[in-house]
Amino acid sequence: MKLTIDQRWDLIDKIAKQTITFGEYRHTLKDANGELTIKPFTGIPIAIAVMYAFWSIFGSFAGFFTDGFFVRLFDAYWLPWLQEVFPGQGGWLYAIMVDAGGIEGGEFVLSDNCLESFGVLTSGLFVAIGVVLPAIVIFYLMLALLEDIGYMPRLAVLIDTMLHKIGLHGYAIVPTILSLGCNVPGVTATRILETKKQRFIMMTLLAIFIPCGAQIGIMQDVIPGLMGWILLYLIIGYFIFGYILNKIVPGKAPEFLIDVPPYRRPMLSNIGKKVWGRIAGFFKVAIPFVLLGAAIVGVLYQLGVIRFLGDALAPVFVGWFGVPKETAGPLIAAFLRKDLAVAQLSVIEMTEYQMITAVVLVSIYFPCVATFAMMLKEGWKELLGAMAVLTVVVFAYGGLIHLIGILLGVA
Amino acid sequence: MKVLLMGHPNVGKSVFFNRLTGANVTESNYPGTTVDFTKGYMKIGGEDAELIDVPGTFSLDPKDKAEEVAVAMLHENKDVKVICVIDASKIERGVYLALEILEEGYPMVIALNMWDAAVDKNIRIDINNLQRILGVPVVPTVAISGEGIKELISRLKEAKPVEIEDIIKNAGGLT
Repeated sequence: MKLTIDQRWDLIDKIAKQTITFGEYRHTLKDANGELTIKPFTGIPIAIAVMYAFWSIFGSFAGFFTDGFFVRLFDAYWLPWLQEVFPGQGGWLYAIMVDAGGIEGGEFVLSDNCLESFGVLTSGLFVAIGVVLPAIVIFYLMLALLEDIGYMPRLAVLIDTMLHKIGLHGYAIVPTILSLGCNVPGVTATRILETKKQRFIMMTLLAIFIPCGAQIGIMQDVIPGLMGWILLYLIIGYFIFGYILNKIVPGKAPEFLIDVPPYRRPMLSNIGKKVWGRIAGFFKVAIPFVLLGAAIVGVLYQLGVIRFLGDALAPVFVGWFGVPKETAGPLIAAFLRKDLAVAQLSVIEMTEYQMITAVVLVSIYFPCVATFAMMLKEGWKELLGAMAVLTVVVFAYGGLIHLIGILLGVA
Repeated sequence: MKVLLMGHPNVGKSVFFNRLTGANVTESNYPGTTVDFTKGYMKIGGEDAELIDVPGTFSLDPKDKAEEVAVAMLHENKDVKVICVIDASKIERGVYLALEILEEGYPMVIALNMWDAAVDKNIRIDINNLQRILGVPVVPTVAISGEGIKELISRLKEAKPVEIEDIIKNAGGLT
């Protein structure tokens, strides 16, 4: 027998009356904290403080390990040692694996740091282990803390009004924040949104505008002074194009109902397990991709493909986006890993504004292959739609950023 | 034997799953942590059993893609026993989902999870009476510390389909 909804509630009422008694409930400190962080008047300043703390701990922790330890290890010991022992200096294998070097005064010279060398075993390993690993360790540690304490749903409630402007609702903060670690789980997390329209907007926006933890980690290291501008451009893009998508994508964007859970004391074992799971995943998936990316770009350089592409696309790169044509190489690397792409960009000669534009382009022009695969899994129609939006965004927004640069007199 | 963990979002299904199977699915304190199903294996009384963790759902009428996954798993596996995980401080709406599943004829045990939090809130629940009315085993649990889990599993064998008419009768009829 099936009950109607009313009958079911009627029955539950009967059952509850006979089995549950509610005693007196005293307001606890935990409840008071819970309320303080969700009422806008106190909650918004607290949210800003939490985000700022997240940001500064992230920066100082990652910087401490990368600059204080890994840069020295890789540039002062690893690179010179490999340059010394790897056979065939100047040959193509040497260039791909260790050091592509440079020509100075007509002579081949070796690079003096792991970013300029472009080798799989030097640049590739340095980016993956020296820069990105510390960044993702601290990122996931803090994310796990926020998750387990129960802060995420409160953030969702606070940011609800703002996200409604772009066709989403507060809970879209969950895929957004997860994407700041890695876009792949971010894409899967869009399943918690109710309608196709919301899922499409969310997936498209995060694939285009949300830089992953690895990319943020490398930006923090190689272009710390410009990162603020790059993130600002990405956040503004997120809202501008979200607003436009909300207007043109058909479908509903309903309000959300959410259970805000009580704050709970995070369990160390669970935090440890989650962070460890991420790191293990990073070693298994990300590091091979970084090395592969470095190898592919190395091979394409050796074959002259990248110079050819750069020359062929020069009108677009230089004319439309206002970046040097050498940007072609990193853009190819960005298919596999954005962190590697930013590392490669950072050693190309260009002005600060060109660097800002180029890094924004690397972020928005195509999701990395892992994210692409995950989007495909969620539905090919959505993926095609997202790619169409992406193409428009790259040209429109990239051109706009160039135009802003021209108007400001910096490009 | 196949066992399916069903319940509202953020009631602790994944914590049960990890404890019982030794698996490593993500546990967090926010609704919507699990968005896909995971299968794991365990022994129940010497017998191999498959345990399935699914996203939380408020009812069998899914409102998002994650809930669709949960409902589809229930409907694709007609031979499962259901562990319905209910937040002990929010019994009424948990029972709503339990009734929906029972109406479809699935055998069930109920875990009243986060029992410690309900005690802290001075909520008293007459377990025996609840069991009598629903006709299925009801076990208070604290998944995070493991309290009650052994009893929950040992009582899976008592799980059998119940008639809604009997529940109505036991509750004293509808209005």
